[in-house]
Amino acid sequence: MLEIRKASIGYDSKIIFSNVDFLLEEGKLGCITGQSGSGKTSLLRAILGFVPLLSGEILFNGSALTPQSAETLRKDMAYVPQELALPAEWVKEMADIPFLLKSNKKLHSRMEKELPQVLESLGLEDDILQKRAREISGGQRQRVMLAISMLLGKKLILVDEPTSALDADACGKVLNLFRTTCKQGTMVLAVTHDPEFAHSCDKILQID
Amino acid sequence: MGTMDIDYLSLAVGFLLMGIPLFYLWKFKTGLVKATLIGAGRMIVQLFLIGLYLKYLFFWDNPFINFAWVLIMVAVASETALSRTHLKRRLLMMPVALGFLISSILIGFYFLGMVLHLNNVFSAQYFIPIFGIIMGNMLGSNVIALNTFYDGVRRERQLYYYLLGNGATRLEALAPFIRNALVKSFSPTIANMAVMGLVALPGTMIGQILGGSSPNVAIKYQMMIIVITVSASMLSLMICISLSIRRSFDAYGNLKSVFMEEKIK
Repeated sequence: MLEIRKASIGYDSKIIFSNVDFLLEEGKLGCITGQSGSGKTSLLRAILGFVPLLSGEILFNGSALTPQSAETLRKDMAYVPQELALPAEWVKEMADIPFLLKSNKKLHSRMEKELPQVLESLGLEDDILQKRAREISGGQRQRVMLAISMLLGKKLILVDEPTSALDADACGKVLNLFRTTCKQGTMVLAVTHDPEFAHSCDKILQID
Repeated sequence: MGTMDIDYLSLAVGFLLMGIPLFYLWKFKTGLVKATLIGAGRMIVQLFLIGLYLKYLFFWDNPFINFAWVLIMVAVASETALSRTHLKRRLLMMPVALGFLISSILIGFYFLGMVLHLNNVFSAQYFIPIFGIIMGNMLGSNVIALNTFYDGVRRERQLYYYLLGNGATRLEALAPFIRNALVKSFSPTIANMAVMGLVALPGTMIGQILGGSSPNVAIKYQMMIIVITVSASMLSLMICISLSIRRSFDAYGNLKSVFMEEKIK
């Protein structure tokens, strides 16, 4: 369970938002919406322990997120930033990167087995793995990154604007993938500007 | 067989050769003529001063004075490394200085004691040049590596956060940046090592041959100089990075403002 209690975030004495409450249970798909600059991504980064709260607290699986507990709690989280070109020559190497980390290594062989199927569910040909990373489009890269995060076997998946580079058909496929992942008990929390995506979520946190 | 001295008139005749680079730097309007003249002037003054105080260091040959000389070199090298990289002294001075000091002591004494088997490892004839050459090489490699490392984390922070956000430890998330820093810093040394003796005759070896040593002795010293400078550079860098990581990231894992120009902006 992810619980945000009376959270306030700000930089250089300027408050971005205050007193935000939110609860996301196991197996639920949630989203954070709001205008640009309202602090959606900052809240996502606060859940990851990268941004300090001015007040309030964040609890993940009953444990308070603090600078000391963040590294341990993050072992049960996956994160997909909005735009990131991983330093890899080939798409397959991109997929390998998070699975080379000590905490994910044991899932590497499962990823190799299941990734083509997940990519297919997102409308990608499995030969995309043999392509050069710089040759694929932004939308393809976004879907590959999402597919990778779904196979990390984490309890909470945090994604920043997962459909920003996708058309309506691909958005639907991403939503279906999130739903399938949630059915296994995983929580997915996405920052989004897309009202249709937001309406399909179980929980919506609107920040203004 | 001693080294043939160069009298001051001959030295002046030799300096006439500087006219060649100065002419072309002027002809192609590089704007480097003044810097070259200042650089050459500083070189002349600094080397005459070094010649003077090395004369006294060798004359006194006192372990305490020799070691004090190493401490001065560490302080000057640390200050130079930070001013060249524009990294903040408040955050990085201690890690850089400790990296230089610990690695030069470990590697320098290992070579003097275990390889040369000197009865007096503080003997100025060996102690001063060996520590000097270690320090010079450490400075060069640390400047490149620290700059590459911190600039990489600053420019590609999304990758750093991505790795942390997917379960990496701090060290795992920084590993790609450390790897880049090592590649950029040590590639020229490794390439240079591979062609040593073929493309160019290295300085230490030439110095020893000019000083009257046999080529057989000179090549052994040259090999050892390369080994100790590469080892000391790597050790100092690892000490410096592991100590500096503790000081240059905040409790939330974010890189602090480590470059001096960030303050100006």
